[in-house]
Amino acid sequence: MILPKFEYKRAQSIAEAIDFYTYFDGQARYLAGGTDLIPLLKLRLSTPAAIIDLKQIKELKTLSPGDRWLAIGANVALFDLKKYPLVKEYFPALAESLDRTSCETLQMRGTIGGNILQDTRCLLYNKSLEWRTARGFCWKMGGQTCQVVPNARACFSNYGSDNAPSLLTLSAQVKLAGPGGERTVKLEKIFSGNGRKPLALKPGEILTHILIPLKKTKGTYEKLRVRDSMDYPLVGVAVSMKDSSTRVCVGGVGLSPRVYNLKNINENSVKDTADQAVAEAKPVMNAALSPVYRKKMVGVLFKRAIKKIQRGGAR
Amino acid sequence: MRTMKVAFQINNEKVTLQVRPYETLLETLRERLSLTGAKEACGLGSCGACTVVVNGIPLRSCLVLAPEVDGAVVTTVEGLRQEGKLHSLQEAFMEKGAVQCGFCTSGMIMTAKALLDRNKKPTRNEIIKTLSSNICRCTGYKRIVEAVEEAGKKATVVQR
Repeated sequence: MILPKFEYKRAQSIAEAIDFYTYFDGQARYLAGGTDLIPLLKLRLSTPAAIIDLKQIKELKTLSPGDRWLAIGANVALFDLKKYPLVKEYFPALAESLDRTSCETLQMRGTIGGNILQDTRCLLYNKSLEWRTARGFCWKMGGQTCQVVPNARACFSNYGSDNAPSLLTLSAQVKLAGPGGERTVKLEKIFSGNGRKPLALKPGEILTHILIPLKKTKGTYEKLRVRDSMDYPLVGVAVSMKDSSTRVCVGGVGLSPRVYNLKNINENSVKDTADQAVAEAKPVMNAALSPVYRKKMVGVLFKRAIKKIQRGGAR
Repeated sequence: MRTMKVAFQINNEKVTLQVRPYETLLETLRERLSLTGAKEACGLGSCGACTVVVNGIPLRSCLVLAPEVDGAVVTTVEGLRQEGKLHSLQEAFMEKGAVQCGFCTSGMIMTAKALLDRNKKPTRNEIIKTLSSNICRCTGYKRIVEAVEEAGKKATVVQR
């Protein structure tokens, strides 16, 4: 598959990367592992004038535990993060979701930052330009209506990160740097809910670090997929427990993951919250499995994940 | 658009090439260096047929831009044979009949090579987990897994 024409720039520092972005007048995309971006370019879903490679920036590859936070550089490979002892010990939900992201080869290339900032996906969107032109552009591409849900002036594509849900249960924050300066926001703030631009990053912003509160948690990640390798989540449920509070996050359905807080864990509270999660999950016919099945599995995986933690890891 | 100069090591040889900035490593290998062992199948990073080892890490070369490998050490399936002797993995693939049409084979071997380089005696489950990065559409995976197991068992494995 042939790539569209673009220039290639290798940045040595965050400031240089932002300078390149400004130089190309915003018509540029940042490249980390490329496992999400390169296919988007090949399918002409993104056609920037330049690609700015961030892989040489040392600052983005650091893993530094502090007193209160673990700061993960956005360019740390998923595989390396998975093997990092502190992650296994403190954040089991993240360790599991990392292990179940895609396959080993792609984990070695893909980065945690790129995994969070991936575009949303849809069976009728991630197609070649010829295919999409023949059918007519959908809402996400700038067309008049969604093609999965006729006449809907909205997008129902799915956000396919396995690790964002587990990071959300861990109350993670993200550090962003851009032409307008640096800022640190809660991870949930980067989801816009708008299919055309599902991530609420300002133009030219780079995700530099992910900050996780350094507190031991119990947790797990449950994922629904067709094959036990490579596939994106059709439903993903992450749970983290800390002291008496439990955070559950449902991903893989819709534009952004949804977080649920449970104060006390008992049969009723789990059932009620799981029912709420099922009601709020609105899958449509745009993934490998039927929406009815996926909706049902939201509740099943929700309860299964909590049960698994209560039984100390066994199902 | 202007071409760019990249210099890297390919199968123990240093090369300097002029490449297009929007060229994939796979295109460079196949079209500029005539190393056609890595294959293009899906072109989107799903199948693993284009896997090569870059700096010890197996990568899908269809997802890597040629300018990205500037200064890197790249090994393709052609670089496994040394002094006329095949790599133990290649021998094991032949012995076990792990090849049918052969299109996925070079990717399978390169993924397995990277595994054996970091873990000399992988368990069957580790092999299955690592090789699930690659898709085969004809032989089935059993003999491929057996071949990697066999290559791992051989105490005389020369790691290259």
